[in-house]
Amino acid sequence: MGCDIVTVSTDTQFTHLAWQREEKELADVRYSMAADTTGSLAKSFGVYLEAAGLALRGTFLINPEGTLMNAEVNFLNMGRNIDELMRKFKANLYLARKTDEGCPSKWKDDGDKTLTPGPEMVGRVHEALNE
Amino acid sequence: MSELQVGMSVPDFTLTTFEPGSGGFGELSLAKQKEEGRWTCLFFYPADFTFV
Repeated sequence: MGCDIVTVSTDTQFTHLAWQREEKELADVRYSMAADTTGSLAKSFGVYLEAAGLALRGTFLINPEGTLMNAEVNFLNMGRNIDELMRKFKANLYLARKTDEGCPSKWKDDGDKTLTPGPEMVGRVHEALNE
Repeated sequence: MSELQVGMSVPDFTLTTFEPGSGGFGELSLAKQKEEGRWTCLFFYPADFTFV
Protein backbone atom coordinates (compact mmCIF):
# COMPACT_ATOMS: atom_id res chain seq x y z
CA MET A 1 0.00 0.00 0.00
CA GLY A 2 3.09 2.23 -0.04
CA CYS A 3 3.22 2.52 3.75
CA ASP A 4 5.74 0.99 6.09
CA ILE A 5 4.64 0.32 9.64
CA VAL A 6 7.58 0.35 12.03
CA THR A 7 7.17 -0.49 15.69
CA VAL A 8 9.49 1.42 18.05
CA SER A 9 10.42 0.92 21.69
CA THR A 10 13.49 1.66 23.79
CA ASP A 11 14.42 -2.03 23.70
CA THR A 12 17.45 -3.08 21.64
CA GLN A 13 17.19 -4.91 18.33
CA PHE A 14 18.32 -8.04 20.21
CA THR A 15 15.34 -7.96 22.53
CA HIS A 16 13.06 -7.40 19.53
CA LEU A 17 14.56 -10.52 17.94
CA ALA A 18 14.07 -12.59 21.08
CA TRP A 19 10.51 -11.36 21.58
CA GLN A 20 9.38 -11.96 18.00
CA ARG A 21 10.87 -15.44 18.11
CA GLU A 22 9.28 -16.27 21.47
CA GLU A 23 5.79 -14.70 21.50
CA LYS A 24 3.36 -16.66 19.33
CA GLU A 25 1.16 -13.58 18.89
CA LEU A 26 4.04 -12.09 16.86
CA ALA A 27 4.74 -15.15 14.71
CA ASP A 28 3.27 -13.56 11.56
CA VAL A 29 4.91 -10.16 12.05
CA ARG A 30 6.79 -8.92 8.99
CA TYR A 31 7.17 -5.21 9.82
CA SER A 32 10.45 -3.67 10.98
CA MET A 33 10.95 -3.43 14.74
CA ALA A 34 13.10 -0.38 15.54
CA ALA A 35 15.37 0.08 18.56
CA ASP A 36 15.20 3.60 20.01
CA THR A 37 17.57 2.68 22.85
CA THR A 38 18.52 6.26 23.80
CA GLY A 39 14.89 7.38 23.55
CA SER A 40 15.95 10.26 21.31
CA LEU A 41 13.32 9.56 18.65
CA ALA A 42 10.61 9.14 21.28
CA LYS A 43 11.75 12.46 22.80
CA SER A 44 11.52 14.27 19.47
CA PHE A 45 7.88 13.11 19.18
CA GLY A 46 7.10 14.03 22.78
CA VAL A 47 6.33 10.46 23.91
CA TYR A 48 9.36 9.71 26.08
CA LEU A 49 8.53 9.04 29.75
CA GLU A 50 11.69 10.37 31.40
CA ALA A 51 11.16 8.67 34.77
CA ALA A 52 10.58 5.22 33.25
CA GLY A 53 12.89 5.40 30.21
CA LEU A 54 10.01 4.06 28.11
CA ALA A 55 7.84 5.33 25.28
CA LEU A 56 4.12 6.07 25.55
CA ARG A 57 1.73 4.40 23.10
CA GLY A 58 2.09 6.92 20.29
CA THR A 59 1.30 6.47 16.60
CA PHE A 60 2.63 8.94 14.05
CA LEU A 61 1.93 8.96 10.29
CA ILE A 62 4.60 10.64 8.13
CA ASN A 63 3.97 11.27 4.42
CA PRO A 64 6.55 10.65 1.66
CA GLU A 65 7.55 14.34 1.81
CA GLY A 66 8.46 13.91 5.48
CA THR A 67 5.54 15.89 6.94
CA LEU A 68 3.86 14.64 10.11
CA MET A 69 0.19 14.19 9.17
CA ASN A 70 -1.33 12.42 12.22
CA ALA A 71 -0.52 11.83 15.87
CA GLU A 72 -2.28 9.73 18.50
CA VAL A 73 -0.94 9.17 22.00
CA ASN A 74 -2.41 6.94 24.72
CA PHE A 75 -1.20 6.26 28.24
CA LEU A 76 0.53 2.92 28.91
CA ASN A 77 -2.56 0.93 29.81
CA MET A 78 -4.63 1.61 26.70
CA GLY A 79 -4.12 0.00 23.30
CA ARG A 80 -4.76 1.65 19.98
CA ASN A 81 -7.46 0.61 17.53
CA ILE A 82 -5.96 -0.72 14.31
CA ASP A 83 -9.16 -0.15 12.29
CA GLU A 84 -8.86 3.53 13.17
CA LEU A 85 -5.23 3.53 12.05
CA MET A 86 -6.23 1.96 8.71
CA ARG A 87 -9.02 4.55 8.34
CA LYS A 88 -6.56 7.39 8.88
CA PHE A 89 -4.09 5.92 6.46
CA LYS A 90 -6.72 5.44 3.73
CA ALA A 91 -7.97 9.00 4.31
CA ASN A 92 -4.42 10.31 3.95
CA LEU A 93 -3.95 8.48 0.64
CA TYR A 94 -7.32 9.74 -0.65
CA LEU A 95 -6.68 13.34 0.40
CA ALA A 96 -3.17 13.32 -1.13
CA ARG A 97 -4.95 12.84 -4.48
CA LYS A 98 -8.04 15.02 -3.82
CA THR A 99 -6.40 18.10 -2.36
CA ASP A 100 -9.56 20.25 -2.36
CA GLU A 101 -11.65 17.75 -0.36
CA GLY A 102 -12.03 16.86 3.30
CA CYS A 103 -12.93 13.53 4.92
CA PRO A 104 -15.74 14.00 7.48
CA SER A 105 -15.91 12.03 10.74
CA LYS A 106 -17.99 9.19 9.28
CA TRP A 107 -15.64 8.62 6.33
CA LYS A 108 -14.19 5.12 6.38
CA ASP A 109 -13.09 4.22 2.89
CA ASP A 110 -12.84 5.33 -0.74
CA GLY A 111 -16.33 6.00 -2.03
CA ASP A 112 -17.70 7.38 1.24
CA LYS A 113 -19.07 10.92 1.30
CA THR A 114 -16.50 13.72 1.37
CA LEU A 115 -16.85 17.49 1.64
CA THR A 116 -15.47 20.10 -0.76
CA PRO A 117 -15.21 23.21 1.43
CA GLY A 118 -16.08 26.60 -0.04
CA PRO A 119 -18.00 29.79 0.84
CA GLU A 120 -21.36 28.28 -0.21
CA MET A 121 -20.93 25.54 2.42
CA VAL A 122 -20.54 27.96 5.34
CA GLY A 123 -23.37 27.20 7.79
CA ARG A 124 -24.66 24.55 5.35
CA VAL A 125 -22.59 21.49 6.28
CA HIS A 126 -25.70 19.50 7.23
CA GLU A 127 -27.11 19.95 3.72
CA ALA A 128 -23.74 19.11 2.16
CA LEU A 129 -23.47 15.87 4.13
CA ASN A 130 -27.01 14.81 3.32
CA GLU A 131 -27.31 15.75 -0.37
CA MET B 1 14.59 21.56 19.42
CA SER B 2 10.93 22.22 20.10
CA GLU B 3 8.54 19.32 20.01
CA LEU B 4 7.22 18.08 16.70
CA GLN B 5 3.68 19.03 15.86
CA VAL B 6 1.32 17.71 13.21
CA GLY B 7 1.99 19.69 10.02
CA MET B 8 5.71 20.06 10.74
CA SER B 9 8.49 18.53 8.74
CA VAL B 10 10.05 15.56 10.58
CA PRO B 11 13.87 15.81 10.75
CA ASP B 12 15.63 12.85 9.14
CA PHE B 13 16.51 10.04 11.54
CA THR B 14 17.92 6.50 11.39
CA LEU B 15 17.34 3.61 13.78
CA THR B 16 18.66 0.05 13.88
CA THR B 17 15.90 -2.48 13.30
CA PHE B 18 15.17 -6.16 13.61
CA GLU B 19 13.64 -7.54 10.40
CA PRO B 20 11.43 -10.56 11.10
CA GLY B 21 11.19 -11.34 7.37
CA SER B 22 14.91 -12.04 7.07
CA GLY B 23 15.60 -12.76 10.74
CA GLY B 24 18.42 -10.21 10.65
CA PHE B 25 19.12 -6.59 11.52
CA GLY B 26 18.54 -3.60 9.29
CA GLU B 27 18.12 0.15 9.37
CA LEU B 28 15.16 2.49 9.21
CA SER B 29 16.05 5.79 7.55
CA LEU B 30 13.47 8.54 7.02
CA ALA B 31 15.64 9.98 4.24
CA LYS B 32 15.47 6.63 2.44
CA GLN B 33 11.69 6.37 2.98
CA LYS B 34 11.31 9.82 1.36
CA GLU B 35 13.58 8.84 -1.54
CA GLU B 36 11.42 5.80 -2.17
CA GLY B 37 8.18 7.79 -1.92
CA ARG B 38 6.85 5.71 0.98
CA TRP B 39 4.64 6.61 3.95
CA THR B 40 6.05 5.78 7.36
CA CYS B 41 3.96 4.85 10.38
CA LEU B 42 5.87 4.99 13.67
CA PHE B 43 4.12 2.85 16.27
CA PHE B 44 5.71 3.54 19.69
CA TYR B 45 5.09 1.19 22.61
CA PRO B 46 6.64 0.88 26.09
CA ALA B 47 8.40 -2.51 26.17
CA ASP B 48 8.87 -5.92 24.62
CA PHE B 49 7.63 -8.94 26.58
CA THR B 50 4.75 -6.88 28.03
CA PHE B 51 1.06 -6.81 27.15
CA VAL B 52 -0.87 -4.58 24.79
